[in-house]
Amino acid sequence: MGLLWDALGEAVRLLTSGDPDTWEIILRSLQISLCATAIAFAIGVPLGMLLAFGRFPGRGPAHAAVNTGMSMPPVVVGLVLTVLLWRAGPLGALDLLYTPAAMVLAQAVIALPLVAGISAAALQQVDPDFRIQMEALGASRARALWTVVVEARLPLLAAVMAGFGAVISEVGAAMMVGGNIAGHTRVLTTAAVLETSRGNFAEAIALGLILLAIAFAVIAVLTAAQQRGRP
Amino acid sequence: MTPPALELRDVVVRAGGRTILSVPRLALADASTTAVLGPNGSGKSTLLRAAAALLKPERGAVLLDGAAAARADVREATAAVLQRPLLRRASVRANVESGLRFRGVGRAQRRRRGQVWLERLGIAALADRPAHRLSGGEAQRVSLARAFAVGPRVLLLDEPFSALDAPTRGELLAELREALAATGTAALLVTHDRHEAAAFADRVAILHDGELRQEGPVRQVLDHPADADCARTLGFDNVLPGRLLGSAAGEVAVPPGACRLTGAGLTLPARLVRTIPLGPVWRVILEAEGRTVLANAPEPPPPGLQPGDPVELRVDPAAIREL
Repeated sequence: MGLLWDALGEAVRLLTSGDPDTWEIILRSLQISLCATAIAFAIGVPLGMLLAFGRFPGRGPAHAAVNTGMSMPPVVVGLVLTVLLWRAGPLGALDLLYTPAAMVLAQAVIALPLVAGISAAALQQVDPDFRIQMEALGASRARALWTVVVEARLPLLAAVMAGFGAVISEVGAAMMVGGNIAGHTRVLTTAAVLETSRGNFAEAIALGLILLAIAFAVIAVLTAAQQRGRP
Repeated sequence: MTPPALELRDVVVRAGGRTILSVPRLALADASTTAVLGPNGSGKSTLLRAAAALLKPERGAVLLDGAAAARADVREATAAVLQRPLLRRASVRANVESGLRFRGVGRAQRRRRGQVWLERLGIAALADRPAHRLSGGEAQRVSLARAFAVGPRVLLLDEPFSALDAPTRGELLAELREALAATGTAALLVTHDRHEAAAFADRVAILHDGELRQEGPVRQVLDHPADADCARTLGFDNVLPGRLLGSAAGEVAVPPGACRLTGAGLTLPARLVRTIPLGPVWRVILEAEGRTVLANAPEPPPPGLQPGDPVELRVDPAAIREL
């Protein structure tokens, strides 16, 4: 128990002392994970629409593949991207390995199936006649589809939360494609792993608590937006 | 002669390799009301969607003012109200204005035109309420107001009252008729309820298996079915060989209400199959010359009458229709 109390004290100290290294890691974690979630949302919702409403051969297997992707281990994503981004690899010329951009890419890949899969389920929950009713009132096909997205906004925000929650807390891919370079690609999860390996358990747990607090703050904002207007 | 506001001509819709709708001609004049009657699966909703240009027929066209029209023009001229009031998760006002928004009407005009219909359909007091917390009747009023607000030439209604209780249905039907008359809007109502069709429409069309079987003025169609399927749709449940009831026609149709176990009328020997109490009347199921005959008896069947016993069915000759 003493260790936990020490960790809590350390977490408060790190946050209140204005320790520049800690704040830099916090900001980088937020930047990378929010950016990855935004990319996953921008691609995942249209992909979810395609799975929910599209009629094309192979839609069933594609939907199953996306749903399987929801449980894809981050370390596998990290491994595949490392191989692709390796200097001699097919995308080596981009020179992205061990950069924050590579971490954004890895996290977006992890979040994408979650956002797409939950979006497809959310959009399919809307009455199939809803879109037809909107068209019957004069909406163009694209406009009618958009009204379905707006109608499903509550579960779509849940998709965003699931995506963000998955990537802010993952460590495998961030470590593999980011390399945990101080001042460059170190984020909260990789820093916690490093402190643990050094035997600095109080610092590691403190970083974990900060991670939890940040995840809670972001998810709380999204939840407030989702539940706005509810009695 | 003024061409009809909207007309379906030679419209054929196919799905899954079979024809699900075939309408040689169905015309809706300005300010007229037409009901399309038919059993479930007869193609009524498909007809409505074809008229609203919500689906592309395999063949044929939807005409406006007698001339071929682009799908966009048909969509502009019509507004549809589907069976369930599919409202957006927004306020009642936003819902009523949504069709206007889709059609690019500016905010001030949207507000003004929406308000007119909020008041006309008695939902102005609910304007700021979330639409998903309304009762079924209120929600259907919003749905109607939303369709009227866009000022369509033809309003297309797909069984909009089927989920409502009888008093609410009657009230809304009356208000709908008033609103249609006041605006001169033509309307097409799809329904399986002949009483609703009679209360609503000037003309009635009957669909069966996707085919338009009969069309004409409401009284004429409701009282004179064209064939056996139309007869059953119109409540003439008993379709019998004409000779059984002294007619030269191959087949005749009789409603169960004109068949009794007692009283005056033509006599038809039959056997009792079973009796079902239906509240105010008894539904008596009989068999005559291998055909099932339904009768409505206002009094309970005589005690001791068992299934298989012979009975003499009395048929009111005035209710017999030759097919």
